[in-house]
Amino acid sequence: MKQLHFLSSIIINSLIVVLLISVTTNAQLPRERAQTDGPVENTFWATTNIGISTVQNVDKHNLESSVMHTFGLVRGGIDTFYGLDDGANTKIGLDYGISNKFSVGISRMTFNKVVDLRGKYNILRQTKSGSVPVDLAIKSSLGISTLSGVGLEFKERLSYFTSVMIARKSDRMSLQLTPMIAHFNAPVAGNPHQLFGLGVLTSYALNNRLALSAEYLPVIGQRHAFSKDALAVALNINTGGHVFQLFLASSQWHNEQYIMANNRDKFWKGEFRFGFNIHRVFGLGVD
Amino acid sequence: MIINNLLFCFLLFLQLAATDPIDPADTVYYSDSGFVEFTSSVPMHSFSGESEQLTGMIDFEENIIDFYIDLTTLKTGIGKRDRDMYQTLNTEEHPFAEFTGSFKSPSPIPDQRTKVTAIGEFTINGVTKEVEVQGFLEPNEEGLLLEAKWSLLLSDYDIKPPGILFYRVDDTQEIRIELVLKPTSRQELTAENETGA
Repeated sequence: MKQLHFLSSIIINSLIVVLLISVTTNAQLPRERAQTDGPVENTFWATTNIGISTVQNVDKHNLESSVMHTFGLVRGGIDTFYGLDDGANTKIGLDYGISNKFSVGISRMTFNKVVDLRGKYNILRQTKSGSVPVDLAIKSSLGISTLSGVGLEFKERLSYFTSVMIARKSDRMSLQLTPMIAHFNAPVAGNPHQLFGLGVLTSYALNNRLALSAEYLPVIGQRHAFSKDALAVALNINTGGHVFQLFLASSQWHNEQYIMANNRDKFWKGEFRFGFNIHRVFGLGVD
Repeated sequence: MIINNLLFCFLLFLQLAATDPIDPADTVYYSDSGFVEFTSSVPMHSFSGESEQLTGMIDFEENIIDFYIDLTTLKTGIGKRDRDMYQTLNTEEHPFAEFTGSFKSPSPIPDQRTKVTAIGEFTINGVTKEVEVQGFLEPNEEGLLLEAKWSLLLSDYDIKPPGILFYRVDDTQEIRIELVLKPTSRQELTAENETGA
């Protein structure tokens, strides 16, 4: 009986000690993450890889400005200063994030003086945990040729474009597939009204500042007899404020529907040109 | 006898559970919604980032000060800049900036605005340095208002300021924190941490 009493006293006293310890604060608070999962970030560094839109969207209340240039063919040699004398096709654009998933934008390109109105929506974001394996986004745009003196009705100046962007980032490498469709109300001679393409985009981050990227845009089905599938390669430089993309591209055009319709140059035959894009994001208010 | 001991234990437990939260011996000061701001400069302009998820605790009884922030809660107003900042700070591997230390001169809970100095270890990017930080503690209706400011050098913590050539974020970062620490019983804090964990 005494032994039982002794044993019970030990247990009870131990329990008291445990209770006292349990209500003593630890020297450090346990560290807790605010968010244990979230979207995979920086799948691409800009909203455009080179000429084709990426799943990357503009954040809410942010404004992205972009300036894009493509020059003449490099093989023009020193006589054309490797294409820089041949005149640039310049596109200036602004995109605004309505929400973290939806942005609207406008741009204007030198060739055909095309004004482009567009919207991009992220349907899915790839998550770090892998619960969502890919990014999925959709883009639609309306192109309006504002060339004067060509006798076109307003509706003949219009072109429409829609693409679905499916992307996945693994470590440093990102890959995106972009099935797309374009419709021209009044295509140039030899071009069909409708064009289908499949953009293949990739990016590889060498470090936080430099990345290599490439894109290939085969046109599928009916197309202009002289059109060629576009190919481009780029070096991306992230300065922390800007993203610079220095590239060599077969197409001098910028908007996807015009790249599909009008590219006549073949990269592997040496028909490529130098170009560069500059992207800069501004904050228009903190949430 | 066993029943008596168990009863004693149960009563003791009730006593501990019902301890008045403002009993100084049983009270720590705690917040999980403190404000933290950093100000950074690049050539020709400066920018700041902030978070309202600074978590911290002061235990006057044990002279312990402990604060941490999940760095991915810092927002500068530009999403791309935030993502670049997280990469620069290496938040995937080291998500927290944290300070653990004590008051240089241990003192009781202040009853008026009082200048205090804390010494301890500040850790960011997995690198820990001894720091001394000055601030103010001021009692208010809710608890204790803590305000502090200090500077840190990114290079001290193996963080390379982002930029290119001459256009680069300055090495010096100005940090400011402000939070109201509410009196919390140790038990409550332990329970809250266990629930949150």
